[in-house]
Amino acid sequence: MEITLTHYLLLAMVLFLTGMVGFVLRRNAIVMLMCVELMLCSVNIVFAAFSRFHASADGHVFVLMNFAVAAAEAAIGLAILVEIFRRRRTVNVDDLKALME
Amino acid sequence: MEGILFWVCGLLMVLGGLMTVVQRSAVVSAVWLIFAFVCAAGIFALLAAPFLAVMQILVYAGAIMVLFLFVIMMLQGPVLEGERKRLALPLWPAVAVPPMAVVVMVAGYVQRDGVTQMAGPVPEGFGSPQHVAGLLLGKYLLAFELISIVLLVAIIGALAIGKDERKLPWK
Repeated sequence: MEITLTHYLLLAMVLFLTGMVGFVLRRNAIVMLMCVELMLCSVNIVFAAFSRFHASADGHVFVLMNFAVAAAEAAIGLAILVEIFRRRRTVNVDDLKALME
Repeated sequence: MEGILFWVCGLLMVLGGLMTVVQRSAVVSAVWLIFAFVCAAGIFALLAAPFLAVMQILVYAGAIMVLFLFVIMMLQGPVLEGERKRLALPLWPAVAVPPMAVVVMVAGYVQRDGVTQMAGPVPEGFGSPQHVAGLLLGKYLLAFELISIVLLVAIIGALAIGKDERKLPWK
């Protein structure tokens, strides 16, 4: 069976949904950030698949941009987490609801 | 051959993602996520993007996940042992929505009228560092320069957040 664009899109969608469900269900802020990384990675697969579909490497450039954004997001997110942990001694988002109440 | 590799890499990557979500320990989650990213590098290689495959290993599976593991190591203790029994939402939307989305996608695939076949064989050197660099430093030079500002802001932000507040220069 020939692998078409749809196969790659389906794979990316399953991965994105996995990350989304993990982000909603997990309460550990570090694992939530890892789920965001998984979702970003699935978007990268879509970019690369469409790049191959059109036989044009422009999508690869945007994947590289996405790498930079993912790295920046991980650095900032983890810095915030470390600071929260320093003050509250927890990274469980159920305990971090000062802005919610 | 491409079909077999796609199914192997794809299914293993989905397994890695699922295990990332399901595992209770953050360290085990991180290791499964590295596994998923290595499989993603295989997918990139299948998509005629060798440079992206290398960068996926170097940047994602290497740098970013090492950062995660490092933070988990710093925060180790009773905090990461387990999560509360109570979940944020009832479980059923989380279980019901993904299969529905897959059904919609498969229905769209069955109903399709456009071409979904990949373009024919790509030229020699497609997706190689030279090819991508030509685009990055030519057509997309402005975006390439701007992304460096994003990284600079991230560096300054991470330093400012992580630093002791009393020692900040503007205090």
